[in-house]
Amino acid sequence: MSLLPNLFRFISFLLLLLYAFPVSAEHTSNWAVLVSTSRFWFNYRHLANVLSLYRTVKRLGIPDSQIILMLPDDMACNPRNAFPGTVYSNADRAVDLYGDNIEVDYRGYEVTVENFIRLLTDRLDEDVPRSKRLGSDSGSNVLVYMTGHGGDQFLKFQDSEEIGAWDLADAFGQMWEKKRYHELLFMIDTCQANTMYTHFYSPNIVATGSSALDQSSYSHHADTDVGVAVIDRWTYYVLEFLETQVTSANSKLTLGDLFNSYDESKIHSQPGVRWDLFPGGEEEGRLRTVVDFFGNVQNVEIENANATEPGSLKEDLAELAQLVEKWRKQEGYHAIRNDIPVRNESDVSSYPDTEVDPRYYSRKRSKGPTKMTDESSWQKRFVGVSVVAACAAVWLTGSILAGS
Amino acid sequence: MSSKPEGLESSNISCNDAPAMSSETVQRPPPPEKPAAILTRTKVIAAFWAVIIFLGFPIWWQTTSIHRARLPIQEMVNWASGKTCRPVFPLEIQFATPSLPVSDAQHLLRTTQHTLDDLNEFSAHHLRLKLLESSNIESNSPDGLRSITEDNADTVLSVRLIAQEDLTAPRSVLHSETTQLDVFYPPSQVPVPSSSNSPLSAFIAEELQRLFGEEKATIAHVLSNNNGADHQPAAVLNSLPPQIAETINKRERRSMKYAETYHLAFSLFTPGSAPSSWDIEAAIQEYLTPLLQAFSPISNFTVDTQVQLYAMFSPMTPQPEYDESQAAWTLKKEDLSAFINAAEWPLSPSIGSGPTINFILYVPAPSQSPMVVKENHATSWIIPQWGGVFLLNAPLSTSQPSNPSHLSKESLQSAFLTFSHQLLTLMGTPATPTSLPLRLQTLIRIRAASLLLSASSTMGSLARLTKSLPSIPIPASVATSVSTTLSHLSSACDQLREGRFAAALASARVAETEAERSFFEKSMVGQVYFPDEHKVAVYLPLLGPIGVPLAVGLLKELKRIIAGWKSRRSSP
Repeated sequence: MSLLPNLFRFISFLLLLLYAFPVSAEHTSNWAVLVSTSRFWFNYRHLANVLSLYRTVKRLGIPDSQIILMLPDDMACNPRNAFPGTVYSNADRAVDLYGDNIEVDYRGYEVTVENFIRLLTDRLDEDVPRSKRLGSDSGSNVLVYMTGHGGDQFLKFQDSEEIGAWDLADAFGQMWEKKRYHELLFMIDTCQANTMYTHFYSPNIVATGSSALDQSSYSHHADTDVGVAVIDRWTYYVLEFLETQVTSANSKLTLGDLFNSYDESKIHSQPGVRWDLFPGGEEEGRLRTVVDFFGNVQNVEIENANATEPGSLKEDLAELAQLVEKWRKQEGYHAIRNDIPVRNESDVSSYPDTEVDPRYYSRKRSKGPTKMTDESSWQKRFVGVSVVAACAAVWLTGSILAGS
Repeated sequence: MSSKPEGLESSNISCNDAPAMSSETVQRPPPPEKPAAILTRTKVIAAFWAVIIFLGFPIWWQTTSIHRARLPIQEMVNWASGKTCRPVFPLEIQFATPSLPVSDAQHLLRTTQHTLDDLNEFSAHHLRLKLLESSNIESNSPDGLRSITEDNADTVLSVRLIAQEDLTAPRSVLHSETTQLDVFYPPSQVPVPSSSNSPLSAFIAEELQRLFGEEKATIAHVLSNNNGADHQPAAVLNSLPPQIAETINKRERRSMKYAETYHLAFSLFTPGSAPSSWDIEAAIQEYLTPLLQAFSPISNFTVDTQVQLYAMFSPMTPQPEYDESQAAWTLKKEDLSAFINAAEWPLSPSIGSGPTINFILYVPAPSQSPMVVKENHATSWIIPQWGGVFLLNAPLSTSQPSNPSHLSKESLQSAFLTFSHQLLTLMGTPATPTSLPLRLQTLIRIRAASLLLSASSTMGSLARLTKSLPSIPIPASVATSVSTTLSHLSSACDQLREGRFAAALASARVAETEAERSFFEKSMVGQVYFPDEHKVAVYLPLLGPIGVPLAVGLLKELKRIIAGWKSRRSSP
């Protein structure tokens, strides 16, 4: 009797197993944290590194609201810049990285170790705006790119402090604990960069750096008109791969392809990759596509006006219309509660006098600045006055007694 | 103090004299110290050490120790591992049987309940049938809007059994604006008291099972994500057809992350100068407020609006193309993600705390109107976890093509109902059953379950963090938040068990907010990790020059005291 349903269940279970892997491997959003850590004109190349990468991830679809860009200095407006308002990462000066379309989230002295760690762990004040927060969740793939001057297990921030490999590992550990990433790609371009990821312990991280212990990371070339080096070698070749090979957000190139493109004779140092934190290790990690981290996953969903399955636009519209209709009929319609504040900024609508419910006007007029507290100010004033009066009385009696 | 230089001097003399004396091999001992000088030296050394032990050490301890409030670690871990609470969802369904005698109705209910229990393999989510006293039928008007906001909304669904003569098989009608299901049945199918099952009870059981199928699957999905201890949800999930699993996954991908407050931003964008005004306030009151009221148990909402004229596409966006066959300007599906000009359109995501859901009403230029999506003529789409877009093709005046300068409330109706639909979708509302009040109630249960689990898992994370990072401070406010969270978690769990879902959601919301607050406490940043060699490097230059004379002085003094003590013991 129950053979048929059981068989069906078994088949569907098999189907589910087939399905299960790609489903569990999916992420729902992409975030990028791009950090340069050095100031001063001669570190022009570090800003150019970060801005080039910023341009790439934006090209591949990550919106500005999901990119955190930290720039400790403003090279474009530096008085020594022969091309004011621009930053170039190549001597041919073909692409102005600063452009007219750039959103810097942390700038100048805001780029500190503390702010960086607070950003990752989201231990920020409540009034810090959303644009300065990393809003990733358990479905987010996060790209963290850092560049600056570093050494064995540290990276200098702004010539005044440094972040240790332990701090970074703990920050990622806390992110994992709070499910703030699904998979994380950590990239770092600095001297002895590979030492920075040696202490990581949280899973689902792929880390790559530009140079091994006791190796320097070199700049690629200088622009004689700008007068300083404009990009670092490792970043230059990573970008060359991203710009020439990963041409669209649908690219099927994998992280394996990216890492295979490293050429030590060109980079002049030994880039490193760390796979052991990734589930499935190197074989699995190499299969992740580049756009899993550099692109954006979110696809728009068009609403078919003719579909009739439950939850489709048409069905919902009918149900909503009924809700609106019922709402209108209810006695509550005219006594709409005021708990949904409507802020109207550039709305210039005016109501023809004849049609307007007088309530609109009364409600509009009552809209003033709201009080921050419920305490009555009269009570406070009374307390204040009585304190002042008591003090005066004490002083008066004192002076009278002294006089007598 | 005067004695000390003296002592030093004497030793100097002895040193200087030593080579001269050695030739004569006569060793002259230094003159004995005066007892007063020895006493003074002892006092001096003792004074230094007293300052170090009673003042220096406590101050050092006080200033370098990290305040760590005590947290109920074990309790927190138990919550996270699901040992403390196993969420259950008993749904109460009321039966009104105006045309049946009570005994028959009770029998029908018993057999239906029996059939239901046999069908159900997920014990955490089960349906409880209850017979409504016939006297209450008239006074009980099931009202979707009210019943979900009420605190003791025990009843999930009311079923009314209506006898109808001309039927051969029972049929059911779900009222789409209330939480009421009407079942029409032929009187012949009422089960006789002797039989244990009947076609009618089987039919009702199947109907109910179908109505709550998606909810059950979603709750199983939520529970299986977090609960390590319980394997039943995962088993239930595995037995689902893959389409449902895919639907649930898809919904999870596009719905917003839970937040206490969402900001709704309605923006009117147009590439020209018209329309420059819209009846936005009236439209929101009319079309959106009902839905926001219905959502009020789940989250708070604020509404912002803006009008932006001369809003151009970004230069990278492919322009719409004119399609002769459709007589419309068309956008390709793959280009829709670039439709929003994020650089220039002021869609700031930073209004207060909490995420913003953007709704964009785009009125195309008269030269590009009407504008539709190429593939299926749709005029609206959802951008997952971000918001929705609606293309409003305003009616053009015939003589001279231009957009109207004002959009009336009526012309905004389709747009705002679509936005309401998009809001429903973005909030993760399930698609079935086809009654909005029921779907919202289902959402309440799903949210309660997911918030309960997420607050529990945050507790576990905080407990593990406390153990693994001994260098971060834990202020007292965190301990307070944790205890608030734990108490609200347990009350949410109890309320779920009693079937008071709205109350459970309210508790779970408090628990989630407090849990987040405790985890993201601002002062809990273990900002600098010092490796041990760094500590040595910092302390050694400071403590070395001070510590060596002090330690050596103490050692010498101890030696002298021991020597004196020994000689005193041997002399008598």
